[in-house]
Amino acid sequence: MILNPAVIALLLSSLLISGMIIYSSYFGYQILRRWDIKSGSETQLSLERRTYLVSTILSYAFGFQLISLFLFVFTADKLHSIFVGAMCAAGTLNVNKFGYPALILKIASFLLAGLWLILNHADNRAYDYPLIKKKYLFLLLIAPIFLSETIILTRYLIGLRADVITSCCGALFSTQRKGLVPEIISLPALTMKLAFFSTTLATILSGFYFLKSGKGVYIFSSLSAISFFISILSIISFISLYFYELPTHHCPFCIFQGDYNYIGYPLYITLFVATICGIGTGVLNPFKTIESLTGVIPRLQRRLTIASTISMVVFLAITLYPILFSDFRLD
Amino acid sequence: MIRLREIRKVFNSGRPSEFTALRGISIDVELKKVTVLKGPSGSGKTTLLSIIGCMARPTSGRIWFEEREITSLPERFLTEIRRKTFGFVFQQFNLIKGISVIENVMLPSYPCGEDIREIRKKALELIQFFNLSGKESSKIEWLSGGEQQRAAIARALINDPSIIIADEPTAHLDTKLSLEFMGFMKMLKEREKTIIIASHDPIVYESDIVDNVLNMRDGIVITGDL
Repeated sequence: MILNPAVIALLLSSLLISGMIIYSSYFGYQILRRWDIKSGSETQLSLERRTYLVSTILSYAFGFQLISLFLFVFTADKLHSIFVGAMCAAGTLNVNKFGYPALILKIASFLLAGLWLILNHADNRAYDYPLIKKKYLFLLLIAPIFLSETIILTRYLIGLRADVITSCCGALFSTQRKGLVPEIISLPALTMKLAFFSTTLATILSGFYFLKSGKGVYIFSSLSAISFFISILSIISFISLYFYELPTHHCPFCIFQGDYNYIGYPLYITLFVATICGIGTGVLNPFKTIESLTGVIPRLQRRLTIASTISMVVFLAITLYPILFSDFRLD
Repeated sequence: MIRLREIRKVFNSGRPSEFTALRGISIDVELKKVTVLKGPSGSGKTTLLSIIGCMARPTSGRIWFEEREITSLPERFLTEIRRKTFGFVFQQFNLIKGISVIENVMLPSYPCGEDIREIRKKALELIQFFNLSGKESSKIEWLSGGEQQRAAIARALINDPSIIIADEPTAHLDTKLSLEFMGFMKMLKEREKTIIIASHDPIVYESDIVDNVLNMRDGIVITGDL
């Protein structure tokens, strides 16, 4: 293990968040078994008091979970200089076999934590805890992913050895290797461009349509999810090439570096915010007929849609900037 | 109607110092009437007042304010109710020393986000109503006991609550000031306020304006209507 402050912070925060999730899941199990809002029993009143505390603490834990994804990438990028062969976060993540699984689990837990926070926010806006069982059931379902992330991340961070020779991103994101990444890189640029711009524009337009008419929420929500995956593939396939102005450099991590004005951070943050808010709009929709949420959910959906659409527009603008204004042309 | 059902309050539950302050109280408090909780020290009057006023939660039991159940409300909704539905007059007045009378009276309105000029206007009207005109800029500690009590009532009314809760309001007052206090309560009753007072002062519970006296002892209500 490398005793770097960011590594220690990531490890401790992940352990703390998992500890909190284990306790909250146990509490959530009690909620699912014993919650009865009509009862005035001691147990019920105790659950009502504790849920306020538990959900508040869990909100902060999940809030940090959102930030920790970027702290993780930042740390991986900063540490690359101590590993022979590594040029950016891609090489650091390749130091042992747990790096990339940890990243994938972090992305999954980022999205799930965001959705839980949206559910919790809606529940807290109502006076009668209308989503309490649903949000704790959701927590129980997603808890294994957070716990897996902690285990994998711990194994990755503890397994970091400075004497390991790793691969650089040029080797990892090349067509010379076998696996999913070369497949993505080999995708025809024109096809990917068409897929990227059509889904991104469709998502933005469906967001505007929902804001204007109140209809098509599930289309907007689904497009947000689809856009996320296509955008990630597109960043590897062709967007990154325009930032690097190199026809063969497909690394999705070098853009986090100062040489590229840290453009990776706004690029990914806007994409993730757009995705969470977009999916969240659809997740909330089935609950808008609940009496205490009739005024809350449409307002919240509207705010989420505005946040998602603005983020998606900014994300699109960031990707378009090098495509339109750099001298590099991808034929 | 404020309906209380099977209200229990246990302090330090499960510890050697466990104390049961309320033992399953079920009462109805009529709106726009004056109700007095009467009983000796330790009978649970203040605890019950705190629970009715949403300042404390019961260990078990439920309270309905008109049609709405309020004990299950999340804290953010309780805060709203405390600010707008209840006005509190405390035994020790709990006025803030070092600031003026008008600042004390205006204080509960600040979190409501109302225009400061409107709050000031209302505060001045209340100060005038409670015969404190000319003292609005005086530091609160410069006022006499009776004046401080009137300032405390004015403060309780600044958000125009429908229910006034007073905990032993005459405990530190002489007979003249206690009668003056009950006179103010009469005026508030005429303005259709619901008044709930905890007291073991005969000047309070034997007053003509009182509609209902609930005798409390050892955490239970012994008798009902007069």
